[in-house]
Amino acid sequence: MDTMGAVAPIEIAQAREAPLSASDREAVFETRGLTVSYGKAPAVSNVDLPIYRNLVTAIIGPSGCGKSTFLRSLNRMNDLIPSAKVDGEVLYHGQNIYGDGVDPVEVRRRIGMVFQKPNPFPKSIYDNVAWGLRVLGMKDDLDGRVERALTQAALWDEVKNRLKKGAFGLSGGQQQRLCLARAIAVEPDVVLLDEPASALDPIATTKIEDLMHELKNEYTLVIVTHNMQQAARVADMTAFFTLERTESGGHGVLVEYDETPKIFTQPDDKRTEGYVTGRFG
Amino acid sequence: MASEMRITFQEELEQVEAALQEEGAYVLRALRAAVNAVEQADAELADEVIAFDDEVDGRYLAIQEGIQSLLARQTPVAVDLRLVLAMLHANLHLERMGDYCVTIAKLTKLVADVEPDEGLVQAFEEMGQRAEEMIRIALDSFQRRDLEAASSLVDLDELIDRANRRAVERVLDFGGDISKREWGLRMILVSRCLERIGDHAVDIGEQTAFLITGEFREFTDASHTAGP
Repeated sequence: MDTMGAVAPIEIAQAREAPLSASDREAVFETRGLTVSYGKAPAVSNVDLPIYRNLVTAIIGPSGCGKSTFLRSLNRMNDLIPSAKVDGEVLYHGQNIYGDGVDPVEVRRRIGMVFQKPNPFPKSIYDNVAWGLRVLGMKDDLDGRVERALTQAALWDEVKNRLKKGAFGLSGGQQQRLCLARAIAVEPDVVLLDEPASALDPIATTKIEDLMHELKNEYTLVIVTHNMQQAARVADMTAFFTLERTESGGHGVLVEYDETPKIFTQPDDKRTEGYVTGRFG
Repeated sequence: MASEMRITFQEELEQVEAALQEEGAYVLRALRAAVNAVEQADAELADEVIAFDDEVDGRYLAIQEGIQSLLARQTPVAVDLRLVLAMLHANLHLERMGDYCVTIAKLTKLVADVEPDEGLVQAFEEMGQRAEEMIRIALDSFQRRDLEAASSLVDLDELIDRANRRAVERVLDFGGDISKREWGLRMILVSRCLERIGDHAVDIGEQTAFLITGEFREFTDASHTAGP
């Protein structure tokens, strides 16, 4: 009984997960000098940003800072806007998705997207999820795939008895989870979420946030949000963009990118601190 | 039926609370070793107690950081806010208890060459056991949100206070025995450390009461007590 070792040995549990070290993680995306312009005016300028596998990365910043434009550049959604022009590179697992011979449809299969307003197809719940699978020829075990996607989106129990009913009969929160199910049914690698909860009530919002925490085990998630506290709650990494004013108007720039607790407790840049504390916007 | 929500937040809260219990277990371990060291005038064990405080401090810092992150990211309210605030206080109280164990160990080393007085050894053993019991009750009642058990700490503290006074009287009884004078003075401080550990256990009990009732009040008011 004379040494400390003999005294009441206790299990030393790891109380918190070992702090994630982003640099040890595999980067799914790496943007290099990414500038997206509409016509001649850059919306977001010269962004270098790695996005890491199986993490939730949030992009925050004031209106007009280019955060949605940045997000949409990650799966070539901006291609659909005729005046949009992309300079620099978006490396996805090392390959520039804007390179020659890259099929944007294949890009969007691997990098799915959920939008601000739930936008289900005017079809049945089942067909909303099955649609992408049919188009991509993933027809083996269609029922099983649909069930898995709806389960992962935490919607299965609520809809399993009315799969053939129209998707518009669902509540807004359920519709958004259906859109998430539709996005993950085709087994993407990344899911981009553009203000996925801004049209939802607080309960539905919390469900989406809980879901993101679950889904990151399988997918890499990138979320754009106006709601700073939402970023604080759900994200592992947070990127702060702001609007840099110029004579010709202004364009978005990346100010700071770090682990979320750092951004919300001790940001390096005064502009970040001003934004997260609500003193400047 | 409402389903579980904000799972990440709840998990983080639970992790911090688990770390707090773990810190408490470390303190219990430090205290038992510190009391053994002083009873047996064991300088080597005293060194181990001093070194072991790094473990307590490690937990303390981890909890502090965890709470900072919770406050910054999760905007806790109502019972969650009270839990976070109570843990913030309890964390500091446990860390202080650890520091008192270090002080006991350092005092032990200063007079390790003196044969301990049998009567005082018995007094320390009693105080040590009482302090351990109080820490256990403080941790357990916090964990179980048990107001009655938390409130019982006040009476237990009275017992440790009395033991402290007896220890001081015992030292005064040494009278003019020069050989025991330094040792006795050091041992009054040891006794005081054990008594203070009891006070911090009561303070944790007060945090438990705050957590449960939402009202903070001191169980006893040191500046308005009837006794000395």
